[in-house]
Amino acid sequence: MSIATTPAFESTEGMSEPCARGLRQILLACADTKLLLGYHYGEWTFGTPELEAAVASCSLAQGELGHVRLLHALLSKHFGDDPDALMDKRAATDFANVGFLDRTVVDWAGFVAMNYVVDLAVTRVLHSMQGSTFKPIHMSVDKMLDEERYHLHHGRGWFRTLATRGGETKTALERQAELALRSVAEWLGPADDHDDRALVSAGVKRADNQTIYRALCDDVERLAAAVGTRVQAPAPTNFSGWTSANRRIGGGGPDEEILFHLRGTKNEVFKLN
Amino acid sequence: MSSGRVYEVFARKNHDEELKHVGSVNATDDDLAKAYAWTLYDEERWVEMCVVPRSAIVSITNEGPLPVWGN
Repeated sequence: MSIATTPAFESTEGMSEPCARGLRQILLACADTKLLLGYHYGEWTFGTPELEAAVASCSLAQGELGHVRLLHALLSKHFGDDPDALMDKRAATDFANVGFLDRTVVDWAGFVAMNYVVDLAVTRVLHSMQGSTFKPIHMSVDKMLDEERYHLHHGRGWFRTLATRGGETKTALERQAELALRSVAEWLGPADDHDDRALVSAGVKRADNQTIYRALCDDVERLAAAVGTRVQAPAPTNFSGWTSANRRIGGGGPDEEILFHLRGTKNEVFKLN
Repeated sequence: MSSGRVYEVFARKNHDEELKHVGSVNATDDDLAKAYAWTLYDEERWVEMCVVPRSAIVSITNEGPLPVWGN
């Protein structure tokens, strides 16, 4: 459907309830995923295979955390969410990030899968909101997409580099990329997600999450084939237990240890407010 | 891990100034060269940045021994 033919929104006023709920959930899902991406990229400022990748990881972390601030500002203004509470006061099971990021990324193949597959998944969701009928997100989405270009260059470049090395490196990359894709499929949710459909019919999003997942699979499969690898991850068929609040089939959330470091819990006494 | 080749990085801050050489990066392909150049040389708000594989540069001054006419 054409976004241009549907009425525009300056706020959530006038939106249907499923549409407003879906908008909050997808913005929060993107913010949570970017928060965890920022954390993991930051962790990989050290231990990369080469110095340039360390500088790039640090820069990617800065970018993601900046995007979290933009998304939290939108959630605060239009849905009354408190950014501090979103960071510090929620249970792990309330986080709506891509599950691939729930645990420590232990090796470089995992980093590359995170960088190429998971980061690109969020970018594709944001891309589906470019020119949205929800006008307050226009500037933020354009800025994020502009910066995400370099995240994609980095992910794609390293995917190609590891794939062409062959052997165990290639096998590890394929395994991690499949895990990441499967996790993204779960995050994007079932085809009959009522709130997601409401977003598309109101023109807030241009494509539903299933279409976004297929486009992502095409991206990954095309690059994999070009460098002689094979990445296939069939989406789950049974989404029972899935909710748009947590975006996982079996519940769960980021490791408590990750949240401890991410929130700066050990430095709580030094916090300014 | 050693990377494939050297890319020279050029950038400019305004549309009315010429591209200047700002540094170089090692990268295995164009995608990585773009990511590395953008993240390493981010001290300015560039309006344009580009990378060129060093191997694609045609040297004028350093061509080795001068050709002697008649050799």
